Amino acid sequence: MYRKQVRRRRAVLALLVISSFVLLTVTYGKGSGGLQRGVSTAFSPLQDVADRALKPARDLVGWFDKTFDARGENSRLKSELVKSRELEVAGQAALQENAQLRKLLKLDRGPALAASSYEPVAARVIARAPTIWHSAVTVDVGSGDGVAVDDAVLSGDGLVGRVASVESSSAQVALITDHASAISAKVVPSGVQGVIRPDLGDPEDLILDYIDTTEKIGIGQSVVTSGWRAQGLASLFPPNLPVGEVTRASIVEQEASQQVRLRPYADLANLDLVQVLTGGPER
Amino acid sequence: MIVTPRIFLRLAAIVVVGVLLQLSFFSRVALFHTSPDVMPALVVSLGLLGGSMTGAVAGFSIGLLVDCLLVEALGATSLVLLGTGYLAGLFRERFDIHSALVPPLLCMGLTLFAEIGYAAVQVMLGIDSPVSLLIVRDMLLKSVYAFFLGWPIYLAVRRILRPALVEEPGARRRSPTVLGA
Repeated sequence: MYRKQVRRRRAVLALLVISSFVLLTVTYGKGSGGLQRGVSTAFSPLQDVADRALKPARDLVGWFDKTFDARGENSRLKSELVKSRELEVAGQAALQENAQLRKLLKLDRGPALAASSYEPVAARVIARAPTIWHSAVTVDVGSGDGVAVDDAVLSGDGLVGRVASVESSSAQVALITDHASAISAKVVPSGVQGVIRPDLGDPEDLILDYIDTTEKIGIGQSVVTSGWRAQGLASLFPPNLPVGEVTRASIVEQEASQQVRLRPYADLANLDLVQVLTGGPER
Repeated sequence: MIVTPRIFLRLAAIVVVGVLLQLSFFSRVALFHTSPDVMPALVVSLGLLGGSMTGAVAGFSIGLLVDCLLVEALGATSLVLLGTGYLAGLFRERFDIHSALVPPLLCMGLTLFAEIGYAAVQVMLGIDSPVSLLIVRDMLLKSVYAFFLGWPIYLAVRRILRPALVEEPGARRRSPTVLGA
């Protein structure tokens, strides 16, 4: 009897392991389409309710976390940081003022987007991936709101990521710290161009790669999206969206290039309201 | 554990509520820049109370639901969590739980196992960017959080599943209902 039980237990375990590997092999890089879309759509209202109900508790924990952080900060450096950011990204302070309310009213349209055909759609983050290996959030707008795959996503502070997949009433956003993320960007005001990649595991550190060693990059300079367009191909992101500021620049001997470190402007750990840039030119 | 249709519904509710709480609350709060991951602790609790099969099936289901909701490659989280649940259940089948510290310690140890498992699966699937050493700190902190969250999760799950637990002292003490008395 006991042996039979053990055999059955092992068989179930083997079945589950094989199922996992089969699912992984079949859906990796493609998704399962219908199943995931169906489950995601069915759970979207529940996630929305849970998100709203748990917001006060999240804010409380966030307050504790920020209090711990604030104790170690130097107030002089903070005020300098604020001043330099005000100088480098003109009008950002004004954008931040009442940004969340303006986003909800869909009135927010920054200088980077003023002359473009992008239509910002306000969205609320309703879920977040639990592991650091996948930096992704779920937002409560989907194809029904005009959201499409690869649309850029912003917060009041800067670029957050891009839409990775979309359902009728929700969408998954791959953050700029996701391991598959790569953003063409430029340093302002010099205009030096490079590619931003994440440093997996550290959400407050991004790497701007492929910068020539002869280019001078200063700490505190701003990095914005370059938004290139050539031979029918175009960057996923519109130009001049603020991404982050340079914190370190070092020469990589073996690669004969500079590796510039930057801190993202957007507070990726505490995303609540974001903006999806729908429409725009054909990609 | 005796799984009747009613207990099955309770198990399903635990899985759904646990996943929703993880995605809508725990993943979105951070203490010392690290968010708690309560899913391994939940799977460990189910494994400790229900045995290796309950642990493995619950881990697989939770992982599948998470991967569906996040539109990730299906199977990755399931694979890690089913191993976690199976190990917790195996512990319950081989050893007695004498100390109140066993569930939180197991939650801590198996959360670390799950985090290393996630990392191994990601390495297996391929990583396109450099990896920071801070990821080690993230794994260790998640395990520490699991220690503190493991005990309340275990107690809550035990309370919900109490009617199904064969060795539950409370269930043994309950006197039989005498019809017509």
